Amino acid sequence: MGNRSPGMMCGTTGSESAADSELAVEVTGLTKSYGDFVALRGIDLKVKRGEVLALLGPNGAGKTTAVEILEGYRTRDSGEVRVLGHDPARRERALRARVGIVLQECAVDPYLTVVEALTQRSGLYDRPRLVDDVVGLVGLEAKAGSRVKTLSGGQQRRLDLGLALVGDPELIFLDEPTTGFDPSARREAWVVVRDLCAEGRTVVLTTHYMDEAQALADTVVVLAGGRVVASGPPETLGGRDRGMSTVRFVAPAGVGLADLPLPEGVEVGMRAGYVEFAVAEPTAALYSLTRWALDRGEGLDGLTVERPSLEDVYLALTGESPRAGSPAGIGTGDESPRAGSPAGDGTIDESGDESGDGTIDGSREGAE
Amino acid sequence: MNELRVAAAQVSYEQKAYWRNPMAAIFTFAFPIVFLLVVGGSAGTSRVPGYTLRYSQYIVIAMLTFGLIAACYTNLAMVICTRRDSGVLKRMRGTPIAIGSYIAGLVGSVLIVVAILTVLVVAIGLAFYGLHFPYHPLAVVVTLVVGIVTFSALGLAVTILVPNADAAPAIINGLYFPVVFISGVFYPLAQGSVLARIADWFPIFHLIRALVSAFEGGPGSGLQLRDLLVMGAWAVGALFFTARRFRWEPRRPKA
Repeated sequence: MGNRSPGMMCGTTGSESAADSELAVEVTGLTKSYGDFVALRGIDLKVKRGEVLALLGPNGAGKTTAVEILEGYRTRDSGEVRVLGHDPARRERALRARVGIVLQECAVDPYLTVVEALTQRSGLYDRPRLVDDVVGLVGLEAKAGSRVKTLSGGQQRRLDLGLALVGDPELIFLDEPTTGFDPSARREAWVVVRDLCAEGRTVVLTTHYMDEAQALADTVVVLAGGRVVASGPPETLGGRDRGMSTVRFVAPAGVGLADLPLPEGVEVGMRAGYVEFAVAEPTAALYSLTRWALDRGEGLDGLTVERPSLEDVYLALTGESPRAGSPAGIGTGDESPRAGSPAGDGTIDESGDESGDGTIDGSREGAE
Repeated sequence: MNELRVAAAQVSYEQKAYWRNPMAAIFTFAFPIVFLLVVGGSAGTSRVPGYTLRYSQYIVIAMLTFGLIAACYTNLAMVICTRRDSGVLKRMRGTPIAIGSYIAGLVGSVLIVVAILTVLVVAIGLAFYGLHFPYHPLAVVVTLVVGIVTFSALGLAVTILVPNADAAPAIINGLYFPVVFISGVFYPLAQGSVLARIADWFPIFHLIRALVSAFEGGPGSGLQLRDLLVMGAWAVGALFFTARRFRWEPRRPKA
């Protein structure tokens, strides 16, 4: 449900050596301050053509600043930025014609109809998509002749996406594209993004939603306090795939902890009637446990094995974990810059090799 | 050529947006025309001191001025503030459109509105108030164009002073209403009065006087060079300010 198969990058084959021409976006040492507030402290970023890259991070982490520099809305203080081979700060028409932008604000003139708004926008491009096709692509056939102000919030957001696509862009920036969508509208938007990717387009999106990053992104980049604190495929981000697995099951009636065939040297806990322990490699432990249970002629109720979720990894990386005493994701945009170091969590400490440089190096082995 | 085609298309979209927004049409058309019919009818037929026009005829030209300012200054500034706050301007800036084409679309649309308003208001003057067809039609057109440019430039410039769309009506009207009242839009100014001397510094009074001169019979071209120059000075100042400080994005805390 929503999860795409690991390692499936549409558009390109995801070759290991990323030559410059295969990069849609290349950023090195990007910094930006607003007065005393340092929004970006030197980030590196590589987006390959045909991939979906998700920027994750708490409010105030610098996501929008980074994207708006790529879009050409903001100037940088220092660093190198190439978008489709151009410097976006120069705001060349040739670049704007190849890029589609969806901003956080839904921005469509309220007095035009859906078709009029799309027709107007398509007239600005040399080789636009057919307006009717775009209407279908974003699922607004039933509203094609309606004025924008009569559309629901979700419909306006879809029109917003359609306006970004009508110029047939190679590269699409989506700043929190599904915020405010109901669950089914989000799934529909995901399908649109996957279709774009299947057509070989490159997508850079920011999001607060872990499931969105998990479902859409070939590469996830986590920003916190203006730094890249981790990057990689969602399946292996922050050493997720190498993190400890938690095994849980309901203790069989009349059996004490001492009677269970549990691995040596593992800390075992009891929580709400569940036995719970964490191991690096759960295969052997599961084998002993399940063999023991089958020998007794019963099953293990409620048995689960879990890797750290993307959300666990994210919260630890951004220092937003509830244990760190900071309410996750309820920022107001005025958080003081955080030190980018991962919080002290065992699953993350192993990932030192992935954080830090922040480049997307094409190593997808972990996902395969 | 492409820029021209885009600008022409923009004019047609701006026209659609304009006529579908009831507030804009009410201030530009309904108010001046109703005022003209009500006040003009009771304004009497005595001549305005210093002019050959009668009071009711003067009101025709004053209301043409009022509508022009509503279309160029007030409406243009409101549209820009609303679009800036909702992010429409920012989005447009991310497309390949040239800034000039976008502004040309807005001003071109205003030009059409003023042309329609002029025909309507002058027709009422001709039909009901014994207004003579302008003795210097070319001067009327030139004066109107200078007025459109001046008040459109002021409409663009005033958006720089507006922090957000909620504050827009207060600031846009707050700057303009006092000047309207002292500039002889609702009643002719007594020449040489204190008010007239203050109004002399602002462009509204000069637009009325230049239009009146173009409508009145008299020697020469009917063009009032000094009035046009005062308006032109305001236009240049406004455009200079606009070029330096115009904002495409809402003023928000950055993160």
